[in-house]
Amino acid sequence: MTAMSILTSLMILGAAVCGVSLLVLIFLDFRTTRIDDGISSFRRHIDALSPEARRDSIIRHEDNSKVGRSE
Amino acid sequence: MARDLAIDLGTANTLVYMKGRGIVLNEPSVIAVNRKSGEVLATGHEAWDMIGRTPSYIVAVRPLRGGAITDFDITERMIRLLLQRVGVSRFTRPKVVICVPSAITEVERRAVTDATRRAGASDAQLIEQPMAAAIGANLPIDEPVGNMVIDIGGGTSETAVISLGGVVALEAVRVGSFDIDATIQAYVRREHGVAIGERTAEEIKIHIGSAEPSGQDQSADIRGRDLVSGLPKTVRLTAEEVRFAIEEPVAAIVLSVKRCLSKAPPELAQDFISRGIYLVGGGGMLHGLADRISRETSVPVMMSSQPLEAVVLGAGHCIENYQSLRGMFMGSRR
Repeated sequence: MTAMSILTSLMILGAAVCGVSLLVLIFLDFRTTRIDDGISSFRRHIDALSPEARRDSIIRHEDNSKVGRSE
Repeated sequence: MARDLAIDLGTANTLVYMKGRGIVLNEPSVIAVNRKSGEVLATGHEAWDMIGRTPSYIVAVRPLRGGAITDFDITERMIRLLLQRVGVSRFTRPKVVICVPSAITEVERRAVTDATRRAGASDAQLIEQPMAAAIGANLPIDEPVGNMVIDIGGGTSETAVISLGGVVALEAVRVGSFDIDATIQAYVRREHGVAIGERTAEEIKIHIGSAEPSGQDQSADIRGRDLVSGLPKTVRLTAEEVRFAIEEPVAAIVLSVKRCLSKAPPELAQDFISRGIYLVGGGGMLHGLADRISRETSVPVMMSSQPLEAVVLGAGHCIENYQSLRGMFMGSRR
């Protein structure tokens, strides 16, 4: 009877440890993803400000203005 | 489907950039209203021609002063008309990015976004003018180097240091080219006893106004109303007189640039000496202003290739890359 009770307690403890470990792993994974998100979002932000990205909107307008002035 | 828009709602001029098409509208920020009926009679160039020449029942006004909305109702109507003119209807509601001075208060900020939403926008975001100007002036703000831009508008002058896509230091004063015009009006009134209109004052500034003496100082004959007799009168004004008259607002602008330079981190400050400072905005086109700032700060100052359009082009770039550049909007996380 006592052995059964100890076994049950150990099983409950094991399950709790597994559960907590799983939660910790999920939290760490979530945290890593968020850091990656920050990096990729900042990279997108900087890339969108590069001269290549601005070529379509700003440099195109400057070129059109130059053509307009020369005409 | 409405094309998204970027609007530079300036004290002097309003420019509209349409996604995928570029600048589609550029006109003075003036609206003429019938006082009796409240009807809008004209906007833009047509309304500008009416300033100071209207009968008593018509009022031609600039709804923004110092970059802030002075008349919410008229501003809303002006934005609504602007949106209609670029093809926005009640069924097509675009996203709109609006350029505003960085020194804008929370109340003024809400006034602009509310006016834009009520005028027909599905979403209204604000961007600081110096940031938009730096993007539009094509400065390498994506690099970890110091980029300094001075935006001198009709009602505000803003200086910003930008690096890695963000503002590092910022200084703004509510002094702009309209204050320069007002000091010319006051000077002519005080020293010559002649009243002149704001359009005449602006013409004087453009033709003989300067912030720094040049080799060939000119003079101009100014027509106005004699304050004593009430009759039309012509007086001769020299460039030196105008320079003296506008010294106060010019000195305030130069001082704000110096304050911004002193706020910049030393690592970035050394970049300004090699890369220079860029000047944008209509007020920056005052003769000798770049030389004056350069002389007082010991940093080279260059005029942007598109001084009048830089701000709206920068905001237009943000509307073209709306998702990636959301962090640039006022009130966002970054």
